[in-house]
Amino acid sequence: MYRTLPYIGLFAAVVLLQVFLFDNLSISVYLNPLVYVVFIALLPLDAQPVSLLGSGLLLGITMDCAMGAAGINTIATLPIAFFRPSLAGMICGRENVREGGIPSPDRLGSRKFFAFLLVLTLIHHTIFFLLEALSWRLLPHTILRILLSSALSVAFGWIVTRIFTAKIPARV
Amino acid sequence: MRKLIEFIRSIYVVVLFVVLEAAAIGYYAHSSSYTQARLLARSNQVAGGVHGFFAGVRRYLFLGRENRQLAERVASLEEQLAKYQEAETEARLDTYLRDIGDSKYRFATAAVVGNSLNRMQNLLTLNRGREDGIEEEMGVLAPDGSLVGYVVACTDRYAVAISVLNTSFRTSGKIAASDYSGSLYWDGVDPNVVVLGELSKYAEPQPGQEVVTTGLSEYFPADILIGWVESAQLNETKTSYTVRVRLAAEMSRLNEVILVADRDRYEIQELRNSEQVEQHSRVN
Repeated sequence: MYRTLPYIGLFAAVVLLQVFLFDNLSISVYLNPLVYVVFIALLPLDAQPVSLLGSGLLLGITMDCAMGAAGINTIATLPIAFFRPSLAGMICGRENVREGGIPSPDRLGSRKFFAFLLVLTLIHHTIFFLLEALSWRLLPHTILRILLSSALSVAFGWIVTRIFTAKIPARV
Repeated sequence: MRKLIEFIRSIYVVVLFVVLEAAAIGYYAHSSSYTQARLLARSNQVAGGVHGFFAGVRRYLFLGRENRQLAERVASLEEQLAKYQEAETEARLDTYLRDIGDSKYRFATAAVVGNSLNRMQNLLTLNRGREDGIEEEMGVLAPDGSLVGYVVACTDRYAVAISVLNTSFRTSGKIAASDYSGSLYWDGVDPNVVVLGELSKYAEPQPGQEVVTTGLSEYFPADILIGWVESAQLNETKTSYTVRVRLAAEMSRLNEVILVADRDRYEIQELRNSEQVEQHSRVN
């Protein structure tokens, strides 16, 4: 395993940012950014599926405890950790995945990385907000929450990515 | 045998994912807002200090407004006190006959160190706990005396309350100065508006009328202000109104709260659960 320390730092940073900053923003019901998703997106491209799943589980449980959300974060985070290898293959290209390394806008190109982050965030937020609402009655309202919150999460996630990958060479 | 092991090795990530996801969904399905509040109360033992620091900074910014509110509250209580002092002189003769003892309600204050607004199940974290005499099921009111929520979980130093902006929150409410009551809940759409459902069609709610608690609830005293009627709609069968109520408490600017406990609550609950009462509520 390489670059374990930066990842522990990233994990702590996204959890602390989420708990103490983004959860307290309370801008509107429609804007509830869940920026911690970016941690899953930034794990190495060649990471073992098991370690991805393990990271997802750990992140989900940590966020559940911090938010008092009884499992909803875990339920939403596990699928993106599980489907990440296939999504990375589809969006970023098999070549890049085989080469490994940290996914970043510099390495994959801004457009590919943006699509990758957006898809992961959308899947996560769709599961999260649908489960939270648990009713089809307010479906338009929930869809609006998913879309607006995802947009905000991706924007913040992009900033986190820029900071995290600033000092790291494009190819490892 | 080796083929079986190979097969398991090729799909064990899928199996692991399904098992973990099923476990998480199982846990979530069996959770209630009480488990969520307990979870938050426990994590607050770790994160409470940091939340407290940020809440302190925020509170400092709103000191002026809060002072004004308190001054207004003092003035209105002063006025009530004058009334009671008058009444007391008249009632003194009665007090010679029997000892009234403590008032029915016990009050306490707490600072809000955590408050979410952008979720469906919003909870409040308060910086007082069992050590300060806070207990489960105490009502939570805003500094101006309007309804905010009630406490669902306590640790020694912190308490977590379910906010009125939680889709699991239920209490009864009525139009002030009338006897028609309905059930009050949040539909999860607008953090400034709650819904008073199943209000009798004879209540004829008008925009601007006050909506208050009924006193039927175990958590709140009667006539606590909830908000004002914004709009009302008759349901399809024309038997009851669904009223949209603008909240009196400013949930996004809540820094301090008043907690209220009914001293007689345990006695009333015990009485309700007693065998004699049960005999009469049993359906034969």
